[in-house]
Amino acid sequence: MTRLVLAHLKSELLALSRMPGFLIPSFVFPGMFFLMFAAPYLRTPEAAVPTTASFMAFAFFTVVFFQYGVGLAQERENPWIPYLRTLPLPAGVRPAAYLLTGLLFALAAALVVAAVAAAATPFGLPAERWPLLLAALVLGAVPHGLMGLTLAYLARPRAALALANLIFLPLSYLGGLWMPPSLLPDWAQRISPWLPTRHWAELVWAAAAGRPWPAASLLALLGYAALFAFVAAWAWRRGRG
Amino acid sequence: MTPANAQQVWKAYGPVQALRGVSLSVAAGEVLALLGPNGAGKTTLVRVLVGLLAPDRGEARLFGGDPRDWRRRRFLGVTPQETGFPPTLRVREVVDLVRAHYPRPAERDALLGRFGLADKAGRMTSALSGGERRRLSVLLAFAGNPRLVVLDEPTTGLDVEGRRTLWRAIRAFREEGGAVLLTTHYLEEAEALADRVAILHRGQKLAEGSPEAIKARVGLKRVAFSAPGLPELATAVRIERTGDRYLLYTADADRLVRELVEKGVAFRDLEVSPVRLEEAFLALTGGAA
Repeated sequence: MTRLVLAHLKSELLALSRMPGFLIPSFVFPGMFFLMFAAPYLRTPEAAVPTTASFMAFAFFTVVFFQYGVGLAQERENPWIPYLRTLPLPAGVRPAAYLLTGLLFALAAALVVAAVAAAATPFGLPAERWPLLLAALVLGAVPHGLMGLTLAYLARPRAALALANLIFLPLSYLGGLWMPPSLLPDWAQRISPWLPTRHWAELVWAAAAGRPWPAASLLALLGYAALFAFVAAWAWRRGRG
Repeated sequence: MTPANAQQVWKAYGPVQALRGVSLSVAAGEVLALLGPNGAGKTTLVRVLVGLLAPDRGEARLFGGDPRDWRRRRFLGVTPQETGFPPTLRVREVVDLVRAHYPRPAERDALLGRFGLADKAGRMTSALSGGERRRLSVLLAFAGNPRLVVLDEPTTGLDVEGRRTLWRAIRAFREEGGAVLLTTHYLEEAEALADRVAILHRGQKLAEGSPEAIKARVGLKRVAFSAPGLPELATAVRIERTGDRYLLYTADADRLVRELVEKGVAFRDLEVSPVRLEEAFLALTGGAA
């Protein structure tokens, strides 16, 4: 079982690592956006730490949302998947491999941002805060990955990529992943507290600052996770029947 | 233990009855060809037997168990559709991924050599030619050292050499006691490989038997000629007439022509042509549903 998960994990990692269409948005864009739009204004560690942390969430978001959203939407049309179902393949293996792939790539993409920040800004984090920051990133990735899954099951495969971009960029902006919410225009500040991306940002800001995690944001993320899990399951069943 | 067995299987897609009570069994050491025109239900029956679909009624068994239980598929090999290989994986990597699922897989380099892909091991699947994709697809069916392989239209798109290589591999596998279920809509392929042929038409099994017996039923020839009239003919399956032009369907064109000569029919403009499987079915069933 473990051996088989590793075999599928290896295939997924190899296959994705040879796709520029996946690599560039995941590994280049977040760091590039950070350098262009954020780094010049981050003169102190106090400014650099939260913005770097939320840009790491943005990098995470890119990977989990596009890998699940667009990736799964495209897999639905791929005849390779029914073939895999004719192999002696226990039910949990592929989901486990898929999940691990997303997690590993998301971590790598977030670390690219951190490296860029360390080079270009006064960003620095005490060693003991890293595990908490990574935990906050992973936790926030759950509802956002499920959101991608929901999109994959609801949208037509061809529409999924365009839709994903339409949802993904505004959510990142309005959630404050690119700049502190206090710098957003008034109308955006009014929407921001309702968005899952904002709660994810609140979590990573707290983790990076060494503050306790805000309970309201934790609850909101769990609520979004439950909502998207429910809708995704409903859409999946509808697609099967 | 019978490798694959279907008992009175029914399957509908919405309002379309794809299978209407089909029974079929593949034994160890035999090649069974499932023959039928497009839309006959071949693919649906295969999908039920390999565990991709549950029958609405009836029962499918794979090595004595439910094909949807992954443990039952440890001795099964299936050909993937060659359009679906992960495009950014190398041939070697795809072969290894599939081999990883089986308790005692075949050796990778031996497989690649056997299917003429030894020099393509490092190539991305997206860079393979059509024939190479087809061969990789068949190779994957054999990757796990199976006891039953299910080959869907295995030689479509292969050149003569590729077809011969593949036929050789199938025969060798059968010699070692392997069971083969292959679908095809070419009578010649069924004839060349199969010990038994089952004919599927509109979701039902129309006939089952040796390739010779099946050929006599659907391997029809069309004999066309002009003549003033016709006596009773023993060798014609079906006779159509437009003016003085006759169109005869027969299992043996030589015998039919001999009969025409013996009975003194004054025919002109004789033409003999093979009949496609679809037309043979129409001729046999009188074009009725």
